[in-house]
Amino acid sequence: MARIMIDPVTRIEGHLRIAVEVDGGTVQKAWASCTMWRGLEAILRGRDAREGWIFAQRFCGVCTTVHAIASVRAVEDALSLEIPVNAQYIRNLILICHALHDHIVHFYHLSALDWVDITTIPNADPARAALIAESSSTWQGNSRRELEAVQDKVKAILGSGQLGIFSHGYWGHPAMKLSPELNLILFSHYMQALEFQRKSCQVVAILGGKTPHIQNLAVGGVMNAINLDSLATLNMDRLGTLKALLEDLIPFVQQVYLADASLLAAYYPEWFRYGRGVANYLAVPDLPLDAAASQFDLPGGVLMDGNLDSLKQIRDWRDSSFREAVTEDSTRAWYQEGVLAPFKGQSTPDYTDFNEAAKYTWVKAPRYHGKPMQVGPLANVLVGYASGHPLTRKWTDVAFNRISAVHGQHVTTDDMQSSMGRFLARAIRSAMLSDLALEHLQKLTTNILDGDHTTCNTPQFPTGEIMGMGMHEAPRGSLSHWVVIEKGKFTNYQAVVPTTWNASPRDESGVPGPYETALLGNPVADTEKPLEVLRTVHSFDPCMACSCHALDARAKSTTREKVL
Amino acid sequence: MGNVLLGDDGIGPLVVETFRCGYDCGLGVEVTDLGTPGLDLSPYLHGKDLVLLIDAVKSDEPAGSVSTYGESDFAPTTDEHVRVSSRLTGHDPGLWESLAHLRLIACAPAELLIIGVVPASSNFGEPMSAAVLGALDSALRIIVQLLAARGVPCIPRVPPLQKHLWWMEHDLMTSPAATDRF
Repeated sequence: MARIMIDPVTRIEGHLRIAVEVDGGTVQKAWASCTMWRGLEAILRGRDAREGWIFAQRFCGVCTTVHAIASVRAVEDALSLEIPVNAQYIRNLILICHALHDHIVHFYHLSALDWVDITTIPNADPARAALIAESSSTWQGNSRRELEAVQDKVKAILGSGQLGIFSHGYWGHPAMKLSPELNLILFSHYMQALEFQRKSCQVVAILGGKTPHIQNLAVGGVMNAINLDSLATLNMDRLGTLKALLEDLIPFVQQVYLADASLLAAYYPEWFRYGRGVANYLAVPDLPLDAAASQFDLPGGVLMDGNLDSLKQIRDWRDSSFREAVTEDSTRAWYQEGVLAPFKGQSTPDYTDFNEAAKYTWVKAPRYHGKPMQVGPLANVLVGYASGHPLTRKWTDVAFNRISAVHGQHVTTDDMQSSMGRFLARAIRSAMLSDLALEHLQKLTTNILDGDHTTCNTPQFPTGEIMGMGMHEAPRGSLSHWVVIEKGKFTNYQAVVPTTWNASPRDESGVPGPYETALLGNPVADTEKPLEVLRTVHSFDPCMACSCHALDARAKSTTREKVL
Repeated sequence: MGNVLLGDDGIGPLVVETFRCGYDCGLGVEVTDLGTPGLDLSPYLHGKDLVLLIDAVKSDEPAGSVSTYGESDFAPTTDEHVRVSSRLTGHDPGLWESLAHLRLIACAPAELLIIGVVPASSNFGEPMSAAVLGALDSALRIIVQLLAARGVPCIPRVPPLQKHLWWMEHDLMTSPAATDRF
């Protein structure tokens, strides 16, 4: 039996440690540990509820906007405050573009090199590569000339002996299976993606006033002034710029990213068998279409035991089934309290060192009616598929057809419940969000032209205690902020973030979380180079920065495997 | 760059906001608090002639010392652990990965300088140390000199703009609920 400790897992945001026991070439046991401590909620207690979002968006340097949105939604929920439709659309556009940015960066810059061996690229035939790429996509950037230029660049990097950021890859690993031509195609898109991720940032900057920390939110709506006759406000000129940016970005998502994720799936079909993990899925409704947030463009719901017929829909943000079901369990996490509902949640540290038989992480274990849940794009896509959501069905079918066009493999929603399925679901979701971006921009434009320029309703705070919960289906999955407010100030604030659902430790009954379960049965060809473990961990897009925050609480470990 | 909730790690945002309110450098200069963006830093560095990053940087100098570094002073070591533990910000991948990516597509900044302030402590929810607060003026002076030497005038704003230092307005952890807990 071999024991592998990957600490830190890199190419993620934040600090994550994964411990696995390997026997007979597969993982038998796994532990996920976050080695930074979170305590941000303590900062929010006692603060003005109208300014909570400004602090919340500093929870993380990467997902700034998602916490800002969840925070204002939580306060609005507590006040039963509707927001103008213009504000819904503007927030939705920001959220969509943030998600597209996040998904593109995750696929190409944080994960592709687990599958793409760049050291084979010098052996590729660019003409053949161009033929393969052009037959699978109508994208303009797949010409032989383009691919030759990328190949020359890679040759220069490899020839220099200075691999820089590529120096820690598992090059030549037996689990790397793509032909030199496919490696060249995917790596050329890795480089193009660096340009396209900027466009989604520009949309967020135009609407949010400023990035990375948007300035335009308010409890009650947004602070964007709309005046078609003013140069300084949101006007037709700005709306036109947004449309042009989206029209540049969307073909990259739908014709390149989705095509590449499908190619990867077609050439690594065995990865539909690994990484299933916890097959209970949770997605929350998002992209509200009206002031009261009663209609949504992304459906929410819960699926249990991998069964799409088990769908229980979460109809809207006030649906009591969600808020009554969620608890956080600290039995195996470094906090004092046991099992509490988020409104009652505390975060009092009780650090013991890494003890896999007792407490071993700073991440609490969120549970839904006592069950662990997997969240993220896969949950989003499966819930949408089970709900008969037309856009989800459309883009899932596009992906499945692309995969079967390569080797005739017929992929099902059951296959999707795997490490590969999580990569594919993120691309499907991105294609779907791209359609929705244009739709929401059109809705915003039409509403403004119809003469509605309102963007904010002023909040009024009662003196008694009120409670609220704000949801967002973020890039990494369902996010909820839970607030208790008295006289306009927070008296409690808890954030249940996507990575706490997925990186959850065992609970009071000893039931492990999604990362820990997904790793079981995962192959490990070479215990010195546990590439396969990384593929499954990266499939979740770990972001530990808000799951458990703050430095200087690093556990001592006896074995440290240096791993990229 | 820096996390405003982590004591001395917030020196970057403090210098940046003070500079933005104190000087006008014209339309060709962007002054931005980047927070702790990780790989998402690259859009902000993309295609720039000059980038000045202000950040807390650990070194053997006493807390509050201000030094200017070039890119080569921070060449990453080959040891992943040393590199991760000596990273500039709380995020990884961060600055070096972003720069390497931009070099790949020939859009890295033509010149990048880091103005580093040595932190005393960067603990969660703590106020900034006196030593690091005291470094504010010299950091500003260095920025003005570096820009002037490159032909970018920094015209003092009279009167200066109103600074928005929302994270320093109250002690982060002084609310009654918070002090009970810590």
